[in-house]
Amino acid sequence: MRPVFGIAGYVLREAISRKFILAFLVGITLVLAVVAMSLRLDVIDGALAASRLFGNELRSSIQSVDVALRPVYQGAAFIVFYGGILFGIVACSDFAPGLMSPGRIEHLLALPIQRWQLMAGTFLGVMTLALGGTLYGTTGLVVIFGVKAGYWTAGPLIAGLMACVGFAAVYAVMLTTATLVRSAALCAAAGFALLVGGIVAGHRQDISTFFEEGVSRTLFMAVTVMLPRLSALAEAAGHISASTPLEVRSLGTLLLGVFVFGLGALAVGFWRFEGKDY
Amino acid sequence: MPAIEVTDLRKTYHRPFRKTGNIALRGMTLTVPRGSAFGLIGPNGAGKTTFIKSILGIVQPSHGTIRVLGGSPEDTAVRARIGYLPERLHLPNAWLPTAFLGTVVQLKGLPPDPAGNLRMLERVGLGDAVTRKIGGYSKGMRQRLGLAAALLGKPDLLILDEPTDGIDPMGRMEVRRILQEEVQRGATLFLNSHLLAETERVCDRVAILADGQVVREGRMEDLVRGDSRWVARFAPGVDAPRLAEAGFVAGGADGVFHVEATDPGALNAALDRARATGALLVELRRDGMDLESVLLGTVRARTGVAA
Repeated sequence: MRPVFGIAGYVLREAISRKFILAFLVGITLVLAVVAMSLRLDVIDGALAASRLFGNELRSSIQSVDVALRPVYQGAAFIVFYGGILFGIVACSDFAPGLMSPGRIEHLLALPIQRWQLMAGTFLGVMTLALGGTLYGTTGLVVIFGVKAGYWTAGPLIAGLMACVGFAAVYAVMLTTATLVRSAALCAAAGFALLVGGIVAGHRQDISTFFEEGVSRTLFMAVTVMLPRLSALAEAAGHISASTPLEVRSLGTLLLGVFVFGLGALAVGFWRFEGKDY
Repeated sequence: MPAIEVTDLRKTYHRPFRKTGNIALRGMTLTVPRGSAFGLIGPNGAGKTTFIKSILGIVQPSHGTIRVLGGSPEDTAVRARIGYLPERLHLPNAWLPTAFLGTVVQLKGLPPDPAGNLRMLERVGLGDAVTRKIGGYSKGMRQRLGLAAALLGKPDLLILDEPTDGIDPMGRMEVRRILQEEVQRGATLFLNSHLLAETERVCDRVAILADGQVVREGRMEDLVRGDSRWVARFAPGVDAPRLAEAGFVAGGADGVFHVEATDPGALNAALDRARATGALLVELRRDGMDLESVLLGTVRARTGVAA
């Protein structure tokens, strides 16, 4: 496994040297700092009596802290899920094509590492980056609201981890695309297409009513059944973050579906990469 | 056991939706002895890069067998003993050279050795540029850094694709010295360079590749040596017609003549005849060719073009 971690470290070092990823981390820090310094919450006996943002009072009825913070945590979960995946698609689109560029891939393949280790290391490096960024943002949010309101929950952290699971499936497709075509733009396009497809797949039952019964509806259902239900995962993450009941029948099945899809996409990429000449 | 042993190596690059592909190697057979400095030369498109990639496992051959250091190039234990410098090494611009070498050390499975990495940078002439990011390096400096990466871990086999590309003449001398040191250490050097003078100076064996096949291979001195033709230079005032009667053909420069002699006896007999005419010998050498002439002659003979 040492070469896998070596390649992951290579990817992370490459990522850290990029200004826009550093800017993203600085941006998260600034948002958290602004929230921490500008938001004031008055909590009396576990109820949110008053809240001020930049000194202006936010009108709301007195309610318990956990109920009052639900929309905040749910909104944050959606931002982390969709915003994080979108940023990940853009920021990580050229990692794999960069590693597979002429002059670099020959050098890497001539080193004593297996091809699958190169792929696995790239995937691990990108996922470490995604996980680090997500945990940094969500932990900061939980700590700020925990300190200010005295309400501590692991919901946003779990929601962040679920966003990482969704991104893993998306990046698996991007990595596989890189083994077929060495293009950052096409990798990003493939990731974006899967995100849209995943949103559609999450609402496939509702959307299918727009298709006429018969071949078209069957075809739509057949195509979308193979895609990961990313929007359903995002909604589940929102519910977990807000500590509200889940609407999906089985979170385990949902996660398993996303996991299997990502694994399948990676398997295709590994197979293609093993037999490719550079 | 040879360092590289390739038998009937064929490689065809197939393209999707096409029945025929591009044939890069057409049954190439080559043996590179251990400890030798071996040069591979040939025209563009001869298959040199495909061959190098094949022996490193970067390209998978269509047919044939490859043994490198007694094993398969797919074996990571074999690749751990190889140092490779690709033709156009793409380096991470935002990194420091020490970080790059540290990563290569890690990926080669070697123990971390920051002091050793610094010594290696000094060895390739980058001692003054250790604190500069790779993005600020010139082409020649990048090439030196690539060479440093290839030399890490004292590899048994060094495969260098255009190692002196972009390096100034003084730098080339330094690189040549390093390569000679490596060969003296016992490493096998496999060099692909368009700079034939470079190959001629560094290598003791050469193979000429044309149209995907080895068309000539052997010791450098055998390839560049003329078979029975000698160059003799006489002191001024020779009697050219009498020398011509003695079998000497006037060369381009004043006092320079060519003579055919298949053995030492015939050569000395010819020289005795020349001296009998009053000619005074000041220089005698075999009428050899440089590597460029050998390459051109070989490739033209192969393609049927008159030299």
